[in-house]
Amino acid sequence: MPRPPDIEDDPIALIETQALTRQFGAVTALDGLTVAIEPGITGLVGSNGAGKSTLVKILLGLLEPSGGTARVMGHDVVHDRPAIRGLVGYMPEHDCLPPEMTAAEFVSFMARCSGLPATAARERAAEVLRHVGLFEERYRPMRGYSTGMAQRVKLAQALVHDPRILVLDEPTNGLDPAGRDEMLGLIQRTGREFGISVLVSSHLLGELERVCEHVVLIDAGRLVRAERLGALTGETSTLLVEVDGDVERYGAALAAQGLVVQRDRLRVLVELPSGDDAASSARVRAAHDLVRDVAVATGVGLLRIERRRGHLEDLFAGALP
Amino acid sequence: MTDTAIHDLGYRRYEGARDGVRGAWRALFAQGFRAMFGLGRPLRSKAVPAFVLAATMLPCLATLAASSATKGQLPIMYGNLIESQLILFVLFAAAQAPELMSHDQQHRVLPLILTRDVTRDVYASARIMAVLCALLVVSIAPLLLLYIGEIGIAVDPAAAFARMYTKVGPVLLQGTLTAWVIGAIGAAMASMTARRAYATASVIGVFLVAGAVSVGLDDLAGVSADVSGFINPLGSLHTMSLILFGERNRAMDLVAPPPLWLFMLMALVVGALGVGATYWRVRRVRV
Repeated sequence: MPRPPDIEDDPIALIETQALTRQFGAVTALDGLTVAIEPGITGLVGSNGAGKSTLVKILLGLLEPSGGTARVMGHDVVHDRPAIRGLVGYMPEHDCLPPEMTAAEFVSFMARCSGLPATAARERAAEVLRHVGLFEERYRPMRGYSTGMAQRVKLAQALVHDPRILVLDEPTNGLDPAGRDEMLGLIQRTGREFGISVLVSSHLLGELERVCEHVVLIDAGRLVRAERLGALTGETSTLLVEVDGDVERYGAALAAQGLVVQRDRLRVLVELPSGDDAASSARVRAAHDLVRDVAVATGVGLLRIERRRGHLEDLFAGALP
Repeated sequence: MTDTAIHDLGYRRYEGARDGVRGAWRALFAQGFRAMFGLGRPLRSKAVPAFVLAATMLPCLATLAASSATKGQLPIMYGNLIESQLILFVLFAAAQAPELMSHDQQHRVLPLILTRDVTRDVYASARIMAVLCALLVVSIAPLLLLYIGEIGIAVDPAAAFARMYTKVGPVLLQGTLTAWVIGAIGAAMASMTARRAYATASVIGVFLVAGAVSVGLDDLAGVSADVSGFINPLGSLHTMSLILFGERNRAMDLVAPPPLWLFMLMALVVGALGVGATYWRVRRVRV
């Protein structure tokens, strides 16, 4: 199948789709989705029914696309299935744990289904279960597991055959806040320390902000945005100043000193000069001094001075329903 | 060791051997075969296999004991013993085949298995083979017990072995075809639903319905018994065993049964249909 040359020349794309479409009868779950995902931790965000699970299942070969193509590490998901099988680990959204099996048995069985010999499968199972934080419990039938433990087993079975890409479908579903933090921590460790790329889907934008390096936002089966996060959610060149007193007069006084100022309710947003050289840093320091001096001069109390940070919600403001 | 500490060695890559599809097939087969006997499953899953093995083997032992006590005057009738055993084999298939065929669908393990080194056809073939092999063990065990016992209780075992030499073929053939028919239909019916209870009921149901339809065609529609008999797989398997072991029942004295090759052909076809239906279902099941 011929592909456009610009994609051929891009060796780093981990996952790429071209006009990927999937229909279920009259319902179109994916509608000409074209996206390239780089190595690292990528969040796949969309409301329920946006097509996240459909995309995940097509990438895993559980569903066939109705149109378009998808490639995982250069392998076509329809024609090159055997090459992909060993590369991906899949943690589904739904329950998938047989209640009468123990976690140790189950994870080692899954390893054997990936072709690992019996002894190696048992060793790997013990190792990954320890990694996700399951110790003596792994010899108990999974019937009695809490949601948090079950999610850990699901993550362990996705890791057991040492995949290059982890595909996690809504891994924090049903977890309490503490459990969610632990799961996100595990995902982060997997991506950063184990060097495994992660594609994690969620309908909660906020929780992905912490762990993801990239975000792909889809809605109604179409790509809304695909962004690199680091630059966008890091420190911005806006200084946020919260004062107690006459904000109006304070802002005007700052503007009179030559600063670019915006008012935001009881806060003043000051645009700082950008740049990495010594001169820019000096001007940034000078701006900070001005903020302090003008506050003294106008007689307002300074409550808070901080660099404004970008947030995913700002980035996608209005994009989510 | 007096002082213990937990050392996190960090994540380690797996660089060892990968057996690919072949290893995955073996794992699915071995786990399935064990599940057929309730091994690796809770205690209640072991009840039916234990009962069926006991209920098919004990009458054989009793027959051998009776024959031995009468110094071989009481002949050992393989075909007659098989008749009562067939429904027990069906019970075994009905109770145990869902342990692997619908279990993976019920607990939604199938999507996990299918994203690994397992295609739908590999999955189907490993699971069907597990069901068939388990049924072969169960269906051939009583026949082998009778066969070995008959030689053992003879006054002169060596002479008996020479005489019984020709019976090896029928024993293996009957056991294999019984497993093929009951196992394939059991696997097919069990794979159709994710609900265990429905799966069990449908396996038993299909054999009962086939028997009822067969009788109905014979009695009500006036279809010849030769034709209607083939619709009942258990009846056909029994008649085949009588022909194979050279025994007769009253019906056969009245009307000569169809030739042996026709029964064997029918058994092969029915089993093949079951295997085909299982593949068809596994290829289509939504995950």
